[in-house]
Amino acid sequence: MRIRYVTAWRGGMLAAALVCATGGTALAQWLSLPIPGTPRTADGQPNLKAPAPRTADGKPDLSGIWRAESYRWVQNLLPDGVAAPMLPWAAELYKRRVETHGYDVPMTWCMPHGVPDAMLVNGHPFKIIQTPNVMIHLYEEFHKYRQIHTDGRLLPVDPDPNWYGYSVGRWEGETFVVDTAGFKEGSWLDNQGHPHTEALRTTERFRRVDFGYMELEVTIDDPKAYSRPWTSATIRFFVQPDTELLEHLCDNNRDLERLLKIWGDGPITGRQ
Amino acid sequence: MRTRLAIVLCVASVAASGRALAHHSFAAEFDETKPVKLTGVVTKVEWANPHIWFFMDVKGADGAVANWGFEMGSPNALLRAGWKRDSMKTGDVVLIEGSRARDNSNNGNAHKVVLANTGQQLFSGRPGGQ
Repeated sequence: MRIRYVTAWRGGMLAAALVCATGGTALAQWLSLPIPGTPRTADGQPNLKAPAPRTADGKPDLSGIWRAESYRWVQNLLPDGVAAPMLPWAAELYKRRVETHGYDVPMTWCMPHGVPDAMLVNGHPFKIIQTPNVMIHLYEEFHKYRQIHTDGRLLPVDPDPNWYGYSVGRWEGETFVVDTAGFKEGSWLDNQGHPHTEALRTTERFRRVDFGYMELEVTIDDPKAYSRPWTSATIRFFVQPDTELLEHLCDNNRDLERLLKIWGDGPITGRQ
Repeated sequence: MRTRLAIVLCVASVAASGRALAHHSFAAEFDETKPVKLTGVVTKVEWANPHIWFFMDVKGADGAVANWGFEMGSPNALLRAGWKRDSMKTGDVVLIEGSRARDNSNNGNAHKVVLANTGQQLFSGRPGGQ
């Protein structure tokens, strides 16, 4: 059932992408241009059903521009109907964030989403560049990047806390597994506001099914915020062929002043 | 005709992506229970991230003119939806539909913009929390 749904969705997105690609803005921006290495059908269109590309050593190559299928996962990481096993303080904070429609959410200050939700911002795609020793994520939103080291190094023992933490990746068969630790507090796990502490460790499992489609599951392990580790919904990404990321710097943030006023004085305030 | 179809379909693809265009919670700043539907003359367009803002003079029933500001998605989202930075220009008469800001100021979020002289609908979609 899900496969049929995915196929239909892909067809729709392909059609929409093709229409967008022929729009009047295509030439002036790098919105639409043939990208070398893209598998193509007989009529020259990107072949989203082609096998996943592979590197020289035979591993799947995750490189490409990806976009989450839905807004749903950046809003809430968990599977439908599942609640995160939050400790009482975390549940209280989460409740306040939900009730205030995101009081203090970092993006209001133009701070980026973190791990894993920077990938899930479906209004802005992200780009993976896979090289032998490091995989690079370029996040269009706020023009940020993240590095996942694949040179065999271990996670640092006592790292200075970072927004994106420190990431190392390895292959388990066809699955790319990323372990990340060394987070600083501040980022949210999703827009609804699942919190985390510096004790957070994440495990991301990426699987590129074919040229056009990739899945991800993320395990959240933060014993200072949750009573046990929990795993996200299966997140679906579709490749964005024959296009490029666009610049997205936060140079006209008119919302912050009004939001602070609303949060500070209005009926939905969560400020204590 | 082809351009209009392209815009309609591109808008459909953006709309299908849902509440996908904002860098903050839509519901935190704007109130869907306070719809606004206005016609005015565009006085300024700020084509910049993280959100486009445009301003328009609206003449009230008493003849007084008030300047309103409206937010839309990011330039990136609008480019992908078929907009260009000059799709809406200073001096254009536009009809907009949107939601008013929760602080009850003359600001809102526009989810529909129609150019009055051509009837062309430039955008339809509800920016949401990202």
